Amino acid sequence: MLTETVEEMAAGLFRDVTIPTIHIGMATCGLAAGARSILELVERELEKRGIEARIVPTGCIGMCHNEPLVDITMPGKYRVSYRNVKALIIPQIFDAHFVKGDFAKKYAICQIPIGGHSPYEGLPLMNETNFFKGQVKIVSSRCGLIDPSSIEDYIATNGYKALRKMLTSMTPEMVIEEMTKSGMRGRGGGGFYTGLKWKLTRQSPGDEKYVVCNADEGDPGAFMDRSILEGDPHSVLEGMLAAAYAIGNTKKGYIYCRAEYPLAIRRLRKAIDDAKEKNFLGDNILGTDFSFDITIKEGAGAYVCGEETALLASLMGERGMPWPKPPFPAQKGVWGKPTVINNVETLGNVGHIILGGGDWYASYGSEKTKGTKTFALTGSIKNSGLIEVPAGTPLRSIVFDIGGGMLEKKIPFKAAQLGGPSGGCIPASGLDTPVDFENVVAAGAIMGSGGIVIMDEASCIVDTAKFFLKFTQDESCGECTPCRVGSKIMLDILTRITEGQGQEGDLDELIRLSMYVKSNSLCGLGAAAPNPVLSTIRYFREEYEAHIRDKHCPGTVCANLIKYVVIEEDCTTCGLCEPVCPTGSVTWDKGEVAHINLETCIRCKACVDACKFRAII
Amino acid sequence: MANTEHGASIEINEEEIDQICEEFGNREGAVVQILQTIQEKYGYVPAEVLERVGEDLGIPHSKMFGVLTFYSQFYQEPRGKFILKVCVGTACHVRGAGLLVDKIKENLHIEAGENTEDMMFTLEPVACLGSCALAPMAMVNGNTFGKLSADKMLDLIHQYKEEASSDNQEAVPAS
Repeated sequence: MLTETVEEMAAGLFRDVTIPTIHIGMATCGLAAGARSILELVERELEKRGIEARIVPTGCIGMCHNEPLVDITMPGKYRVSYRNVKALIIPQIFDAHFVKGDFAKKYAICQIPIGGHSPYEGLPLMNETNFFKGQVKIVSSRCGLIDPSSIEDYIATNGYKALRKMLTSMTPEMVIEEMTKSGMRGRGGGGFYTGLKWKLTRQSPGDEKYVVCNADEGDPGAFMDRSILEGDPHSVLEGMLAAAYAIGNTKKGYIYCRAEYPLAIRRLRKAIDDAKEKNFLGDNILGTDFSFDITIKEGAGAYVCGEETALLASLMGERGMPWPKPPFPAQKGVWGKPTVINNVETLGNVGHIILGGGDWYASYGSEKTKGTKTFALTGSIKNSGLIEVPAGTPLRSIVFDIGGGMLEKKIPFKAAQLGGPSGGCIPASGLDTPVDFENVVAAGAIMGSGGIVIMDEASCIVDTAKFFLKFTQDESCGECTPCRVGSKIMLDILTRITEGQGQEGDLDELIRLSMYVKSNSLCGLGAAAPNPVLSTIRYFREEYEAHIRDKHCPGTVCANLIKYVVIEEDCTTCGLCEPVCPTGSVTWDKGEVAHINLETCIRCKACVDACKFRAII
Repeated sequence: MANTEHGASIEINEEEIDQICEEFGNREGAVVQILQTIQEKYGYVPAEVLERVGEDLGIPHSKMFGVLTFYSQFYQEPRGKFILKVCVGTACHVRGAGLLVDKIKENLHIEAGENTEDMMFTLEPVACLGSCALAPMAMVNGNTFGKLSADKMLDLIHQYKEEASSDNQEAVPAS
């Protein structure tokens, strides 16, 4: 599947290209890794050698751990991907392609097939690498392949074909029918059936309706929507067009995007302008009587605005406070009118579903979660990045096949945190959990919007629970008491535990409060806030007890509970640890094993970092 | 005129404020966007301006203040030339973002949300910038930097300091 889509799409991109093409990953992750200076170096090198080539900035193909990525496509050949490109290796890559007519084996990861072009020998295809093997790319299929700021690239890869198909041969009911058949459920984490949502909004009486795209991706550790917005912005516009057409009486849509994503906003602006110019947006789209326009609204920094009713309040210029449902947005949304509100990833899938058919989409995935899901894979894992897999893929294969296993081979897997601040931790015993809406909930976490943070044995579960609770506590809007006060008391208890002041009965109190906050909060933020605490107590009770009873942090993270000691057998008596100690707590004499005075030690970890032999723990 | 905490003052043109409000049709629903436009212009939202916007839109000051303080990205005080947005999201937290924040605090003698005395830097820890694979990361005035360490962070601050001083020199006409 992966190869066919990519191959076909790439064929469209290279149809009339006769000169070499150099793709550079210029999404936020690429830029953070230094892609901008790589772009300049590539330009300079081309000029120096007098080579005529196209340089195409592209989005995120998912291999964030390999950024900066540079791909070279010679006319008629497959596209070769190079990883972690630095100034020094650019001339070597150029020599291989432009002088020897080959590729640079040492730095190449894989080759991306292009329909009608020929492969290189001795280099795995994209789908033969462990990272891509288990993936199925639908919504992220264009990310990293096309120039996201070029509407031509989008059109060359079947873009706006779904719009044309819809306007020429489908009634709004047929569009809803395809969405229903696809089994698509809201990818923002809610999991509500998209077809049903559109149907309900269509049935809501009203001569003025709205479509809103929720691009307020705020979960820490999640960047699926950012990758789609930066890598394939038009797909989101096309999804919104389909929603508008399906629900009827809709002339206007909004994209509510968080302000922390400046590049995504720039790409969206350009996409909207270009789509208007080509009449895919605006009045009488493609000569029909269907008109639709999209405005971008920038968030102003409030996590709760990812909750749909809070988002709508913010959109209307209010404080972003959620309102109790009903009324649902489908009945009363923006300006009191029926509104469809969908997440970026959900909308990005729509064009593919309309073109391929609902049945085709539903052929992927598990029984109750159809299709694919993107995940942001991060933390202590080797291949961190953006992946797209069929729903129901076991967690083990995500972590160990696609993710390549643990970042540090010697430190084993401890838990996977799914669903961000509303989610929970799944321990090693749950690695065979199929990742879809139902099974992840049964395992004590939520699939959420798709953030997966991998933790190893060197991390502390209590500290992680505290981290998430602090986050929700900071972001609680303060409207309802259970969330505002309840989360604060819970955070106080957790803070005490991590500082070595835990007491017997703390865990029971945490569970009692969790239940209270869960069942009495007004919106999803509060109702889910205790999840990270509950799931970690469920699976890692001993670790909490170690903190409370033994005043010991097994992950050596909680500073107050750490007792650094020098392992005599491993100490080479080199003395590197002695001068770095700011309080003079490390004593060492030539030829002697170092010693740490715990009375004066401030647990700054300087000696641990200084020791090259890992003799201080 | 609005006084900043350092005694410097910026000129506030009330007509300009009215014009911005008008561009958005003086609509109550556009208040977040209006404040964003104003902040882009002045770097923060001075108290007088907030009042003026309220008058223009017919919104009570209490409500205007409520909106302004609800969102973390509106500022009531002027901010430094370079905004050090250090990501403290999950992945960055796991990979030691706390150390970066501590190093900045120690080196620039500021707490989170504060400006350096010379108004050069503002420290702003933020939740997830969405480039978790390159954790820990930071964004300085829209430029992203990944795989940072405490030392690299200091180098970065140093670079920006140098950039600022060379900018100043260029601004001085050669005599």
